[in-house]
Amino acid sequence: MTTDFLAVRGIRKSFGPVEVLHGVDLDLAAGTITALLGENGAGKSTFVRILAGDHRPDDGTISVDGKAASFHGVGDARDAGIRLIAQEIADAPTLTVAENIVLGAWPTRGGLLDRRAMQRMAEEALDLIGADLPLMAKVANLRLGERQIIEIARATIGTSKCIIFDEATAALSDAEARKLFHLIRRLAERGTAVLYITHRLDEVFTLADRVCVLRDGRVSLDRPTSEVTQDQVIEAMVGRAVAHARYSPGSSFSGAQPVLEAERLGSDAFADISFTLGPGEILGMYGKVGSGVQELAASLVGARTFDRGELFIDGKPAHFRHPAEAIAASIGHLPADRASEGLLPTLTLAENLSAPSWPRLARSGMLSGERLRSAYSRWHRKLRVKADATGDQIITELSGGNQQKVLLGRWLEAGSRILVLTEPTRGVDVGARQEIYRILVELAASGHAIIIATSDYEDVNAVASRALVLVRGRLIAEMPHDRISTETLTEAAGGGVHA
Amino acid sequence: MHDKLQFEAMTAMADIDANGGKTSFWRKTPESAALLAFLLAEIVFFSLSSPYFLTWGNWVNVITALSITGVLAAGGTMLLIAGQFDLSVGSGVAFVALVMALTVDSIGILPASALALVVGMGIGVINGFLVTKIGVNALIATLGTLAIFRGLTQSIGGGKNMLISNFDWAIWRPFLNIPLSALVFVLVAIVVGIVLKCSVFGRSIYAIGANENAARLVGIKTKRVVFLSFLLSGAFIGLGGLMSASQLGSTSGTTGLGLELAVVTAVILGGTSLKGGTGTMFGTVIGLLIVGVLNNGLTLMNINSSWQQAATGFLLILAVSFDQLRQRLVGRR
Repeated sequence: MTTDFLAVRGIRKSFGPVEVLHGVDLDLAAGTITALLGENGAGKSTFVRILAGDHRPDDGTISVDGKAASFHGVGDARDAGIRLIAQEIADAPTLTVAENIVLGAWPTRGGLLDRRAMQRMAEEALDLIGADLPLMAKVANLRLGERQIIEIARATIGTSKCIIFDEATAALSDAEARKLFHLIRRLAERGTAVLYITHRLDEVFTLADRVCVLRDGRVSLDRPTSEVTQDQVIEAMVGRAVAHARYSPGSSFSGAQPVLEAERLGSDAFADISFTLGPGEILGMYGKVGSGVQELAASLVGARTFDRGELFIDGKPAHFRHPAEAIAASIGHLPADRASEGLLPTLTLAENLSAPSWPRLARSGMLSGERLRSAYSRWHRKLRVKADATGDQIITELSGGNQQKVLLGRWLEAGSRILVLTEPTRGVDVGARQEIYRILVELAASGHAIIIATSDYEDVNAVASRALVLVRGRLIAEMPHDRISTETLTEAAGGGVHA
Repeated sequence: MHDKLQFEAMTAMADIDANGGKTSFWRKTPESAALLAFLLAEIVFFSLSSPYFLTWGNWVNVITALSITGVLAAGGTMLLIAGQFDLSVGSGVAFVALVMALTVDSIGILPASALALVVGMGIGVINGFLVTKIGVNALIATLGTLAIFRGLTQSIGGGKNMLISNFDWAIWRPFLNIPLSALVFVLVAIVVGIVLKCSVFGRSIYAIGANENAARLVGIKTKRVVFLSFLLSGAFIGLGGLMSASQLGSTSGTTGLGLELAVVTAVILGGTSLKGGTGTMFGTVIGLLIVGVLNNGLTLMNINSSWQQAATGFLLILAVSFDQLRQRLVGRR
């Protein structure tokens, strides 16, 4: 075992009366990649901010290279060689790649910016991580993955011995994520201690040498990755064994009339898409970002229009011009981007859940708060929403997984029989993900017809009864239940397996 | 089961505290509490400085003085909650009063009043059309109609002061010595308050202001609701124009000048967020009263009306700064 670069012992931190971290120990060795997992609220971000010098611990010690360290600010942690690459990219989009890489560490000569030295520094930083970017390009013109490379290059400038990645792949495509993993491995080979924070288990097992799980402010697992299984990690995260929901074929609805039929649908984002959907089915529609899956789903629910082909609901032709028409045809949906398309952020849980049902719940145009609350309480327990049972909380106070459950409840209250769910588990932690799968399987068993439009093969793999794969707007594969697997899906989507 | 629920609720609460830190006091304090406290402080101050301040007659004066602004602010509250603006209310009031003055002698009081109301609603229709059908930003669209109707009023009216005779319903005092215009304001405030809080239309307004995209996706006809809100604001312009014509018994090119700013001040002061999605009619009434009491109190203390204007501006900045501070402490947005 190499020497530990960073040794953390007994870290405690409280905010007001609430202790968030109850004595956390962690060792980061030079040249190893440690994955840090934990559900929302487990204390991950607080812990990371302590390492980065942004928060001060109430108790406990941090030693760097065997010497006790005390960080009084982000600058101290920086000087000790600890860098944080935050979830949100924080660059200056109007500046060039080179300027962004040396941001804050500008080389000067006689008080003026030394452009040549800046170019050289930027070039060296990119070489170091084996990346290639046009130094003089404006950052605003780059793709998200490229901008993340700039963040990493910046983190390697000066003395950087430990780099912390916070949910680095959240916004990346598969190919970009693969590139990122490659860079991270190079950093580790060079002797950097890497702490990689993620929600995604598959990333842990492809990337990390060691896995550490935080639960309720304590370390609940800290072992080499090779010695643990996925289920052990999940159990450490949620504190109990998680039952995997799986769709079981042979449902009692086989032979029923299809509720939704698409015939050669086409628009600017997809073409020639034909499929049917019956009650009790969970149809997985898998494709990477840009494959047209999201646009196709949006066309089915009236959020977008298609200009070729026919859509039939219960055998009747349908051409929705407004989401309200799709809702009237008993179609409910979860949008791809929860924040910008799903949440009504200043409204309560009860208002959010009941929104599509307002016209039905109203008595001659008037809606009482009582009726909205009782609509909410019908679904609160069934969906196991972690919140006040009254539904009076503002929805943005909830975690991603719980928000998603409330948005799903919208369509249960509205009585929708067809559910088109786009990226249903995006930004949702492991425990809630399994709960959402369980809910979907139950809904299918009770006769709902469900489409999961997703770029996450785990969704399809976990619960789909049948899968469609889209590549560049074309339907290129249809798979029955027994052929669905991670390998077949990613192979069909043309990307190869993650990493 | 009950225990489990309670446990879940508690863990959920703990999560919030963990994220929000030590700010639960600020989170729980309703937005209107600080405003009410401020209003109360004003009242205590002015009642100490003038013995006349707390009399019934003076309170009737306060309400009457803000009745036109108040009726317009009811529409302004709906619009701002939906994330929209109507800056044309001041010049709209002047234009409506002009229509009244021009037609009342030839067609009679009732037909002229009806016409004036329709003209007000027409202004709302134009604004709503520009915003929802053409897609012009509400600030720009109503800034344009503000200038158009002010210009029309001045060119058609020729800058004269035009008398409107036999049209004094607004100052008639049917009971408790309260003028009808004040009663109209109270009625409008109550109706709009109920509509916002308890109707599908009202909830849709909040939903649109919170996230227009998401509102559309849950089936709300967002453009229709926004159009209707502008139409209602136009109806209040019509009503405000009639109240103005009746209270003054005349109209001129400067009628209603700056009313749009008084309306925006009251609505913002009342806690409606510029970003939309929050706010109440009750808050707006408090906002109106804070400004109204301030102006009334300063008048009683014999302070020049120019100073009143400066004081109102100061108050607005103070209130919004306080709200920013509160939001930062709550740690949201």
